[in-house]
Amino acid sequence: MRDLKHLIYFENLLDNADNELVEKAKQDGKLAVGYTCYHIPEVLLNVDRCFSVRLRAPRTGSIDIATYYMSNYTCEFARSLVERGIEGGYQFLDGLAGVDACSMMNRFYEHFEILKMNSKENFFVTHTDMPYKVEDYSVRSYVKQMRIRLLDVMEKNLGVDTSDAAIRKAVEEHNKVCRILTEIGEMRKADNPVITGYEYHILNLVSYTCPKYLILPYLEETLEELKTRKPDPKPWFRARVSIVGSEIDDPSLTKLIEECGALVVSDRYCYGSTPGREVIELNDEEPALDQICRFYMEHSECARYISDEKVQQRRTTADRLAKEFKADGIIYEQMKFCDFWGFERALVTHIMSEEMGWPVLSIDRPYNARSSGQLRTRFQAFVESLEIKKIHKNNAEKAKKEEA
Amino acid sequence: MSVRKYPNPSFFKAKNRMDWKAQAANMKEIGGIIGGMLKETDWKDFFGRQGKNLKSDAKRVQKEFESFAKMSMKERADLILKGEKKLGKLYRAGDMATVRREWRGLRDTGVDFYEWLRMWGMLLATFSKDLVPALNATFYYRWMISYMCCVGFMDKNTMGQRGRALKMSHEMIYCIFRYVAENLVFLAKCDRKNGNSDELNKKTVLFDEMTMGQIMAGFPKLLGIPYQLMPVFLVSEIDQLTCIPYLDAVESFGLPADTCPVPSSECGALVVDALPHMGSCFISSSMPCDGSVMASSYVSRRFPDLPTFHLTFPVRYEYEETVEDATEDVKECIKFVERITGEKWDWNNYFTCMKRFNEETAYELEKWEVNKTDYPQIIGPSYELFRKWNYEMDGGSDPRVIKSCKKVQKLMLDAYERKEEAWPGKMKYRAIVWSCPAHYYANFTNWLANCWGVDVLVEMESLNFTKPLETEDKETALMDLSRLYERMVMRRHTNGGYQNVVDELWRQCEAWNVDIIIMYQHVSCKNMSTLQGILDEQAREKGYHMIWIEHDLMDPRTVSRKSMRAKVNEYMRTVMKATPCDDSLLDFDDESAM
Repeated sequence: MRDLKHLIYFENLLDNADNELVEKAKQDGKLAVGYTCYHIPEVLLNVDRCFSVRLRAPRTGSIDIATYYMSNYTCEFARSLVERGIEGGYQFLDGLAGVDACSMMNRFYEHFEILKMNSKENFFVTHTDMPYKVEDYSVRSYVKQMRIRLLDVMEKNLGVDTSDAAIRKAVEEHNKVCRILTEIGEMRKADNPVITGYEYHILNLVSYTCPKYLILPYLEETLEELKTRKPDPKPWFRARVSIVGSEIDDPSLTKLIEECGALVVSDRYCYGSTPGREVIELNDEEPALDQICRFYMEHSECARYISDEKVQQRRTTADRLAKEFKADGIIYEQMKFCDFWGFERALVTHIMSEEMGWPVLSIDRPYNARSSGQLRTRFQAFVESLEIKKIHKNNAEKAKKEEA
Repeated sequence: MSVRKYPNPSFFKAKNRMDWKAQAANMKEIGGIIGGMLKETDWKDFFGRQGKNLKSDAKRVQKEFESFAKMSMKERADLILKGEKKLGKLYRAGDMATVRREWRGLRDTGVDFYEWLRMWGMLLATFSKDLVPALNATFYYRWMISYMCCVGFMDKNTMGQRGRALKMSHEMIYCIFRYVAENLVFLAKCDRKNGNSDELNKKTVLFDEMTMGQIMAGFPKLLGIPYQLMPVFLVSEIDQLTCIPYLDAVESFGLPADTCPVPSSECGALVVDALPHMGSCFISSSMPCDGSVMASSYVSRRFPDLPTFHLTFPVRYEYEETVEDATEDVKECIKFVERITGEKWDWNNYFTCMKRFNEETAYELEKWEVNKTDYPQIIGPSYELFRKWNYEMDGGSDPRVIKSCKKVQKLMLDAYERKEEAWPGKMKYRAIVWSCPAHYYANFTNWLANCWGVDVLVEMESLNFTKPLETEDKETALMDLSRLYERMVMRRHTNGGYQNVVDELWRQCEAWNVDIIIMYQHVSCKNMSTLQGILDEQAREKGYHMIWIEHDLMDPRTVSRKSMRAKVNEYMRTVMKATPCDDSLLDFDDESAM
């Protein structure tokens, strides 16, 4: 396939949290609000003059200082963010929207405060509380948190408009991005898709980390390009896989999997497109904030949700995506030291494989997985096993036909 | 109508429905295992070791006799009246228990022996209330066997104590094991593999892990049991080796080894079917940490037909606006229990129990006040255990606990007036324990006091919610109940922001006037380890002696007790330039000890 016109540009944007488009927006007088967790509705950070930046720590090297602060057996993602913060890599932010959903990520926000990683006068770090289940009263509580602990804080510190109208406007722009990414994402369902998992990962990540109004034209152009892009006559991949699990903001992990011969067809992980790139439909009767909060709670696939229906939802979604995107197998992954996904992965790996019949590869991985030889070997072995299964299946079908 | 007796006598009387055929089959299997073990035992080696132990015992007796003979009359009188001072000789490498009981002096050994008898009496009386399923449980669950050494645990926790301190510790340990024994009988009766009492199962509500029992005060006719507490957590404090098979099982199942061993062990116990099959419903909880949240899905997986309610409290509990959500959840939980069991919430009983609980809290606060003075009295593991398993878990429901509180209170004030020392001659440093403690399984508090004279006045896990609970207005009462749960053991500090564990530490250090912070670093406790740099930095700035001690609550293979003690030894020797109170305790082997 021909290279995508903007791919290298997108890759470069992902090389730094404070990227070219972020800088451009700042020059336009916009205000950057950082966040990491899906539980902070992205749209709320895009009201008025604000724009959201989902934080990453690209090209992380040593995390020794963060390890001193947070010990060596805690989430590497959280530690990498602390390290980058100490280095001054998030000085461009005007605020940080935290959610106390997982303890290690919460400590990242707290270190941001304690170690005074940002010296701007009106800079704020806010901490919000997140319910564990979706009930009427917990949705109400979530709405209250987003209003008191997020929007009011933004209004007070940044002087921005957080009214219902402003939120609705942000949703409109958000939906434009989501429609494009959903349409591109659907292309992965084809037998011989015009987009690779790696490319999609890049597109999705730039949509999280760049100001929406600046990235939109590039995404629109890429969509048009993909509509006419010709796939290789013979598919380059030997198997199709779905990824499920904890945070992945490193596209080189997807690249690593694809280098081993598997096309990544769906991305059900934090920073992926499910959830995150669904269109939010708002009605005019209810306040936008209430609708958004309910939407986010219902769509969340976070392992932190404890209630039975959400536990089941996670399994059903994984199964549905794998089926819809014609995956041959599922990779269940977790960032090392992630408690939520550690427990979830161990249990659900058995369920998906023994009850739902999916071939499953279950892995824990470092934040930077690109150079992991161990992972490469495991991916290669998984692809081979999927291929063998396919051969056996084809042979059996052939034999059946011959018998008939 | 409120039930007066506690526990409700009908729970013991509930009819069992044992499947004798299944019991016979199980006994046959156990017989096979025992037979196999007997067959595979290297008897020559076994008898060889017994011979060696006998010789070592004879040598020890001879040595003790010789040393006694060499003593002056004054020293002999001191030993006879006040007891021995070198406790390290009670340990022998490879043994599971000490070589003999401690000689505490004539009077205190008498007290100790009386308490020993009282404990056995209580245990036998409690188990006799329904002996067959209780005993039969030992043929199903390996953790039941570990409870057999509870008297050894009592000895361990009172090591070196004399006078009123010893009496207070015994009183509190007695309460703990009464709570344990009664619940073990109930577990055995309910277990569908064992007692299979439908009558009791209908009345039994299971609680997740360390969730406090106050909510059950509104259901006096029901039995609330912290489900995994007896089979996993509490037993691991008695015998740290108990949970190793569960950890191995769950790690083989696929769980990463870097998760907290408490929920991991619970999940492991489910994997190897080491938890009783019981109860009418299960109240899972989001407390105290992320790992604990996730363990509930393993219970649901193992027992898919067990109706479950997820009691989830806000993490940012200091935000007043979250109380409404928490209170709604409590209300829903009550409705759930009512729906499943058919019982109605009894406000009268709830308020009666909470009045009692408030009284207990007042006693707790008085203990703290005494311990803050120059003459601390209730220190040591027994107090911390009592607080955790009686004050918090039964939460005012058991009227017998308040009697013990009163008794302990009187002893404490008498001792305070006389300026007694809990560990005579060993009160050198004032310490606070922070983070997940290792007092119990590693007997660390006792060792600190006996070896170095470092006296732990209070621990983080005790410093929880102390506001009196509302006992008149119903809505306020439920809000208070939510606040209490949100600030339960561990959760109070590790949730809700770093201020609750970092700033709070410095506040408490000042309030208790401590010299040393025993900072436990429980491997895999992410809430705490993510603050290690900040704690370390600020301790240095504030000039506190902070001794970091790595440990693993449930897996001694990760960090041995010896290496934990070595951390203190080195600090005391090199930084404090201190002289040990008992040098026989500097280095000894207790790796196999319970």
